[in-house]
Amino acid sequence: MNVRSRLVAISGAVLLAFGAEAGAADVDHQRLLKADKEPDNWMTYHGSYNSWHYSALKDINTSNVKGLKEAWSHVASRSTRGLQSYPLVVDGVLYYSGSYNQVWALDGATGEVRWQYKQKLNDDLVAKQTHSPYNRGIAIGYGNVYMGTLDGKLVAIDMNTGKLKWETKLVNSEKLTVGFTGAPLLVKDKVIIGAQGGEWPDRGPIFGVDARTGKQVWRFYTAGGEEGNGDARNTWGGDSWKTGGGGGWMPGGYDAETNTVWWGTANPAPLYDWSGPDYKTNGARPGDNLYTTSVILLDPDTGKLKGYHQELPHDAWDFDSATGEFIILKRDGKKYVVHPSKSGFVWVYDDQGKVQNVWRLVQNINFVKDITPKGELVGRRDMTAGKHTNLCPFIAGGMSWNMGSYNPQTGLLYKVGNEWCMDLEIEKTTPVLEPMAQLNIGANFNITHPTGGKAHGHVSGRDPITGTKKWEVKFDEPPLASLLSTGGNLLFVPDARGWLHAYDARDGKELWKHNNGQGHNGGIITYRAGGKQYVAVMTGWGGLAGDDYATFFGGTFAQMPKDSGIIKVFALP
Amino acid sequence: MQSGRHVGGDAEPAAAPGAQDQTSAAAGESFDVNKLFAGSCGWCHSKGGREAGKGPMLMGTALTDAEIISRIRNGKTGQMPAFAFTEEQLRSIVVYIRALKPE
Repeated sequence: MNVRSRLVAISGAVLLAFGAEAGAADVDHQRLLKADKEPDNWMTYHGSYNSWHYSALKDINTSNVKGLKEAWSHVASRSTRGLQSYPLVVDGVLYYSGSYNQVWALDGATGEVRWQYKQKLNDDLVAKQTHSPYNRGIAIGYGNVYMGTLDGKLVAIDMNTGKLKWETKLVNSEKLTVGFTGAPLLVKDKVIIGAQGGEWPDRGPIFGVDARTGKQVWRFYTAGGEEGNGDARNTWGGDSWKTGGGGGWMPGGYDAETNTVWWGTANPAPLYDWSGPDYKTNGARPGDNLYTTSVILLDPDTGKLKGYHQELPHDAWDFDSATGEFIILKRDGKKYVVHPSKSGFVWVYDDQGKVQNVWRLVQNINFVKDITPKGELVGRRDMTAGKHTNLCPFIAGGMSWNMGSYNPQTGLLYKVGNEWCMDLEIEKTTPVLEPMAQLNIGANFNITHPTGGKAHGHVSGRDPITGTKKWEVKFDEPPLASLLSTGGNLLFVPDARGWLHAYDARDGKELWKHNNGQGHNGGIITYRAGGKQYVAVMTGWGGLAGDDYATFFGGTFAQMPKDSGIIKVFALP
Repeated sequence: MQSGRHVGGDAEPAAAPGAQDQTSAAAGESFDVNKLFAGSCGWCHSKGGREAGKGPMLMGTALTDAEIISRIRNGKTGQMPAFAFTEEQLRSIVVYIRALKPE
């Protein structure tokens, strides 16, 4: 080989190496920043950093949606508790995760399997977990599919081959019992993911991990912060911060203009405190219990706390703020961040985390009399040990963890609301840490109908800033899946009984529906592959909120399988 | 209501009121089965086990003592997690279930 040939060979090898790297770098921070400019793809859990769960695609629209047909489907093996995750699509390939940390890459036009990945798990540990074995989503970037595992790892899987690239143990799940179920969020060169928490006696850390190497770069403790980074342990009586719960178990959002990650945190443990009104000095965890049931503003590069707002100081009702997307939008030149929560209220912030408004999405709320537009709780219902009746909403929340949708064409936020209540008996529990951590709920309880009516759900289209209702559709049981709205003026609502509905996003008129054979409890997206628009929805039943339906609502729910998961994909013929 | 920018301090947290009855329970330590049930079981077994909820009603169960202990210890895939309770705790839970009466 002469020198010139060798040089060509070397540059060929370099090209190959870079070619692989270039392919692998297909989804990077710059591309994610402009995700809304690529409606053919759905590259991150919330669709874009604005968390609108909206696609500008309009090939399928109000005038032709009645012709929508099933194009293909894929059955997810070992689907214990159904498919609760979100599909992602990049350049014609659909990626999704299922129970037991399985991941599939499918041809977006045909559903043909390109690869499947099955995480090797600690099965003995998974058998001891209550909030398990579902996975709620993945992230994609730098040639990798990122996923948090039930046993406390973050893994990177090669998006082209389905082979494991690296895995990093972040949580001692063997001791703490909990791990990861929520989707990671890729911001610049960091993968950010929050641990499960809330009712578990840990401190709910959120992690920032180097997206290329898997090295942990930062960690933020949602229960109490730590020395040098938001130390708030003095908002917890005694050592209660050590078993405080917290946790950011769903993915947050990102505001690139301020370089701020917004993340919601879970309730403190035990869920139900027995302090009564003297919660500042009394009960299991005296004090405000920062940063539980809060939104926190983090620097994505360092994990430093930039700001926060505690939506429910000393949450005594399990209405955590870990649920709810951070919808970033502008109106009259001003930027807002809109955050729905389990409480049934929706908080509206400016981009520094200052409250601009609070409005209620559901009617049956009595854990407080009200929350003022400035965010002040009025008439708290702080309970003592013993029996209490008719606490509203039910523990599953006025809104559950799945996502709504904001449509910039209609200017409306679409969201599911839940009208249900509960009776409970609060017990003075003690955190159990040995031999491994156990749930710390603090009450026995049961779901009830609201006074003077039946439990039900609704989907409404509202002004995201004021909450003014434009239209509403009622459901006999609260839908528990995410929503999707599109540039075709459609709103897709996957309901609990198994019907996928398409409504006119402008007025709520039903235009199409199809029964998928089992309830929905996961994500829904639209994308284009081979020039054709598809709608993909997760099916499968058996999540924590839906587990009460068989006994409480009966009917079809008593027969619905809880070990089945199918992704269904629709298109026009 | 606290809002906005938080200034992190490097000092140890200031003295705060002590949490009541909030010491961690070590394995084998004497415990109250009512607390244990409300801590870990009541989420799924409604009204303290007197009604079906996410999980079945426990009051009047047809399972034998050994079957109850086996189910708690091993769980049931997709239905109930396994619990790492001590022998004493497991026996107490059986006694608790057998003693359940309608309210």
